[in-house]
Amino acid sequence: MAEQAPAITLERVCKSFGPNRVLHEVSLVLPAGKILVMLGPSGTGKSVLLRCLVGLMKPDSGRIFIEGEDITALDERRSADRDKLFALRRKFGMLFQDGALFDDMCVGDNVAFPLRQHEKMSETEIAQRVKEYLDAVGLKDVQRKMPAELSGGMRKRVAFARAIALQPRIVLCDEPSSGLDPVMSATLDDLILDLHRRYNMTFVVISHDTAEARTIASHIGLLYKGVLQTFGTKEQVLRSNGEAINQFFDRSTKGPIQVL
Amino acid sequence: MEFLHFVRRALVAQFSGLPPRDEFVRHALDAGVGSLPLLTLLTIFAGMNLSVQAYGTFVRFGGQDLLGLFCGVGGIRELYPVMAAVICGARIGATLAASLANMQISEQVEALEVMAVDPMRHLVAPRLWAVTLMLPLLCGYADVVGLAASYWAAVDQMGVNGGTFMEQVRDIVHLEDLAAGVFKGVVFGWLVALVSCYHGYRALKRDGAEGVGVATNRAIVHSAVLCIVLNMFLSALLYVR
Ligand SMILES: Nc1ncnc2c1ncn2[C@@H]1O[C@H](COP(=O)(O)OP(=O)(O)OP(=O)(O)O)[C@@H](O)[C@H]1O
Ligand SMILES: [Mg+2]
Repeated sequence: MAEQAPAITLERVCKSFGPNRVLHEVSLVLPAGKILVMLGPSGTGKSVLLRCLVGLMKPDSGRIFIEGEDITALDERRSADRDKLFALRRKFGMLFQDGALFDDMCVGDNVAFPLRQHEKMSETEIAQRVKEYLDAVGLKDVQRKMPAELSGGMRKRVAFARAIALQPRIVLCDEPSSGLDPVMSATLDDLILDLHRRYNMTFVVISHDTAEARTIASHIGLLYKGVLQTFGTKEQVLRSNGEAINQFFDRSTKGPIQVL
Repeated sequence: MEFLHFVRRALVAQFSGLPPRDEFVRHALDAGVGSLPLLTLLTIFAGMNLSVQAYGTFVRFGGQDLLGLFCGVGGIRELYPVMAAVICGARIGATLAASLANMQISEQVEALEVMAVDPMRHLVAPRLWAVTLMLPLLCGYADVVGLAASYWAAVDQMGVNGGTFMEQVRDIVHLEDLAAGVFKGVVFGWLVALVSCYHGYRALKRDGAEGVGVATNRAIVHSAVLCIVLNMFLSALLYVR
């Protein structure tokens, strides 16, 4: 077999909303089976970047390859392309920043949903998998609860369980740790590492938490004002002594990243 | 334009295989059974009102025996189908639009997309089927309840001869009229569902909760207007020769 295509390749991706330039010429290559932690202050386009990766948003220019396939070339409105797009999306699990749980379904059904849609599993197998993943994110006896009855952090964990239910090849997590207590977020980090080891999943984790970046990342990126300031393996980035990255890790107000 | 695109996608989704069963059953129950109390109450009063109103007019020229005729034509041919469509349409349409709009603004629709599940097939198609099938049933139900109420008011309250009343109803209301009412129900049901789903589906995340309100509001107004306007044309088509 030829060398495995990188999980994710971005080539000069640009995206604006009207005059608001959100992503500017973002390029990166993330090899398969790596964990990328994407840092960046609030409002710099991290969530937009994730949306572009799964084809929910189309970049204005530039290309995005998922395991070698160009997702930006697919036009949602054409049914042949739509099938291809769906096939590509099957590789993904995604944790939305606000969870995006189906609020007319109970927690158990939420996690079981992707399994029921795409896997030919018996209900007992599904129930087993659901329980396993809910246990893994530290949730017990919530299966019959509705999402509205859960706390924000609990919802996030359910959403994480749903994102990994199909054991996808690439998992995108939009701030999995925000809203969680340190112990819980460390548990989640362990879970990510465990899944990574067991199934060789690729992760893109958006985070504000530099400690999280230190623990789980194999690669680190820093996005600021739509520009990818730094990108590389964790060792490279931590050694590089870039001003912006140092400011982030030092939690300092002095540096290139300005609040206003 | 955008609406036509939505209609095309909805049609494709609706007729490309059976809708997901759970969703369909849930929406059918909600649309059908959920509308019964309201519809029953309103058709009882509308039916009685037909009798009361007609009696007052007809009695002047001694025509109170024509009451059955009037209640049959006015009620079964016109009033009940439209009433069922407008009242249930408003109720069902509001629910559909609000639920879809809410799913849009909380990214649930996008979550479906990312899971490679087509929201049109998973969300819109079962709703379209459910309402298209339930509304004609509701129309039929409204016919029965309304007529019974007219009969009660005319015969038991105002002393019209019961045999004559029913005879006239049987005389003027044919099976085709009932079929026409049901046919109208199908058309109205499909339209109400389509318009409501469209407004709900079109809500944008950045509109927030207000977007849900706007979508709901538009769904109610547009489906009611469409039903009443279309009813005139359908009647012209069905009854004028
Ligand atoms: N659908 C949209 N329409 C218009 N502008 C948008 C849209 N989505 C995002 N934006 C804009 O893009 C910019 C980046 O938003 P994004 O959600 O990616 O930030 P973020 O980096 O995820 O921030 P946070 O860490 O707070 O979640 C913001 O200025 C936002 O206003
Ligand atoms: Mg974000």
